[in-house]
Amino acid sequence: MGKFKFYTALWMAKLSILALRITKHNGTNFPGKLAVKICPDFLSRIGKPELIICVTGTNGKTTCSNMICDAFAAQGKKVIGNRYGSNLEEGICSCLLEGAGLSGKSKASIAVIELDERSAPRVFPHVKPDYIVITNLFRDSIMRNAHPDYIAWILTQNIPSSSKLIVNADDLISSRVAPGNERVCCGIEKLPTDVIECENLINDMRICPKCGSKLVYDYRRYHHIGKAHCPDCDFKSFDYDYSGHDIDFENMTVQITDKEGTGTYHIPNDSIFNIYNAVMVAALFRELGTPVSELVAMMQKIEVPKSRFSREKIGTMSVTQQLAKEMNALAVTRATDYVRTLPGHKRLFLLISCYTDKRDWSENTCWMYDCDFEMMNDPLIDMCVCTGPRALDFKLRLLYAGVPEEKIHCDIDERRAAREFELRSGDDVYIFCGIDAFDLVDDCKNIIRERCRKIEGIGDGK
Amino acid sequence: MKIEVLFPEVCCLYAELQNVEYLRRSAEGKIEVINTDLKSEPYFARHDDVAMIYMGTTTEAGQELAVKALTPYKDRIAELIRNGQLFLITGNAIEIFGEYILLEDGSKIPCLGLFPTYAERHMMHRYNSLWIGQFKDIDVVGYKSLFGLSFFIDEDKRTSVFAKPSGLFTAERGDGINKTTKEEGYRLNNFMATYLIGPLFILNPLLTKKALEFMGLPEARPLFEKESMESFELRCKEYRDPTIGFTYG
Repeated sequence: MGKFKFYTALWMAKLSILALRITKHNGTNFPGKLAVKICPDFLSRIGKPELIICVTGTNGKTTCSNMICDAFAAQGKKVIGNRYGSNLEEGICSCLLEGAGLSGKSKASIAVIELDERSAPRVFPHVKPDYIVITNLFRDSIMRNAHPDYIAWILTQNIPSSSKLIVNADDLISSRVAPGNERVCCGIEKLPTDVIECENLINDMRICPKCGSKLVYDYRRYHHIGKAHCPDCDFKSFDYDYSGHDIDFENMTVQITDKEGTGTYHIPNDSIFNIYNAVMVAALFRELGTPVSELVAMMQKIEVPKSRFSREKIGTMSVTQQLAKEMNALAVTRATDYVRTLPGHKRLFLLISCYTDKRDWSENTCWMYDCDFEMMNDPLIDMCVCTGPRALDFKLRLLYAGVPEEKIHCDIDERRAAREFELRSGDDVYIFCGIDAFDLVDDCKNIIRERCRKIEGIGDGK
Repeated sequence: MKIEVLFPEVCCLYAELQNVEYLRRSAEGKIEVINTDLKSEPYFARHDDVAMIYMGTTTEAGQELAVKALTPYKDRIAELIRNGQLFLITGNAIEIFGEYILLEDGSKIPCLGLFPTYAERHMMHRYNSLWIGQFKDIDVVGYKSLFGLSFFIDEDKRTSVFAKPSGLFTAERGDGINKTTKEEGYRLNNFMATYLIGPLFILNPLLTKKALEFMGLPEARPLFEKESMESFELRCKEYRDPTIGFTYG
């Protein structure tokens, strides 16, 4: 009966892939959903590639797994992944389905799977990755993820003991998950911009997990990211197996030293969180046996996905789309911290209400007061545009952060806000957007781009 | 006047430290905040001049650390409650003052045992809800996002210092301290505890006014009162809209 169900599920799902392709609906989770509906243990029965790499963590999962896929592509290797699907069980089923033949056996040799941390209990019993990259653990959705200790607990309970972990040693929460597993530790050595005391509202690693004493940070990059030790017991950050250092922002490179030597690698973006992603990707490939010289060439070809960061120059103006995941205080803080340090005067267009929640309930806004909106109170940020269903909450939060009222444009209607906020020649507009309203983001971006073209006298009839 | 914040290094989830910060900023320099860490003696242990003692949501490990840190001061806390000391306890910190937390495997984490409650914790079934209700004659809005709900222990079975207290808020939409009651949180004298999480005062300018009055600052106004009221009124309207779902996930 089990086999019958499995093959029915496999063939029906395969047929649905074909139908979706014909109707140009690629990249949905429907085939995986259908397969699980027909055969609830489909994930355990479907064939798996020889090498499975999983990427999980609060932030950087998509970027990191896409970078890994790009690197394999640079090696000329074909991989399957859930790049265009979801990172839940159904998305992973869809990905493995794509790679399987009609017999259910895998035709692919490598899978790169991005996994939502909360899905670990449903996925890891059936999929045993050879390597698991854990990017970091921070506060995320309060409703789903509660707090980072909770997610660390879920991962520890569910990560297969055979998986080798690639962890961020600068993150004292994520680097300690699944303590019995073999792991390699990555990190970025002390930077001139590092501090000692936390300057952020979120700081989730203040006390020693062994003895409860206040941790001493040797240096801190942001939040709980840095190097720390306990003054009263032997607890400390892991030593690096892969150490990032000498970041050259002009030439966009980072040097990474491991036990066999040092390589100079291309970084696809100059934000520190993307440099972490690059170091972790390099560590993974070194663990897979890729020689430094080959890896250096491969890393030249990796990119940050456009949905994460893209910029268009329009005369003296520019429009930048910056991912700042909704309801994620950390992601919005990191995006703001990055943007505020860029040169030039900026206007921030905040499209970060949770549009999924808007459909049938009202967003939990606690995250706004965990997020460092204080960073938007910056002399180079000339305006913050608050839009969407939570526009009034954003306005209140910005006032609370010290942003002068005259710098705030508040309008619940997003498109109207895009049409009406003050825009001048020379402005750089940053659209902060989440991942659940791409059509709305595109509409607002197009409106702002058109306005920029008009101001700059570029385009038809100008 | 002084507000003592207990264990901000662990009782700091969901921006709840902003509750005290918002009061401090609203009172324009009239409030001094004392942060007490897990390894220090609480200020209240030897002083009677605290206007409010505050503790907010923490992790599950944090709950156990807080119980351990407060146990030596259990009698003093009971004395303060009897004397009318103002306490505000939010989120899962409420569970620390009950008798125990019951885990899924049947084991119990002993708590302070001041009030006749126990909490049931379900780590894989998070309870998420919006909330609207009343404190006396004013509306209150908020959120719940919890692994546990509390239940009262019958009078003849309780070992707690105090008998069953009255409810703090009355739920209009959303549940009370558990799904079977509309009484949210509890109050004995001026000990006030609620399962509502987050920056409660920023969300609730009317409640902030009450709190400031209660602390002897009737002239103080909630910071950005106009904007806070606009946001509050919109939220009340949304939460009363029957098409808006109330529980999540």
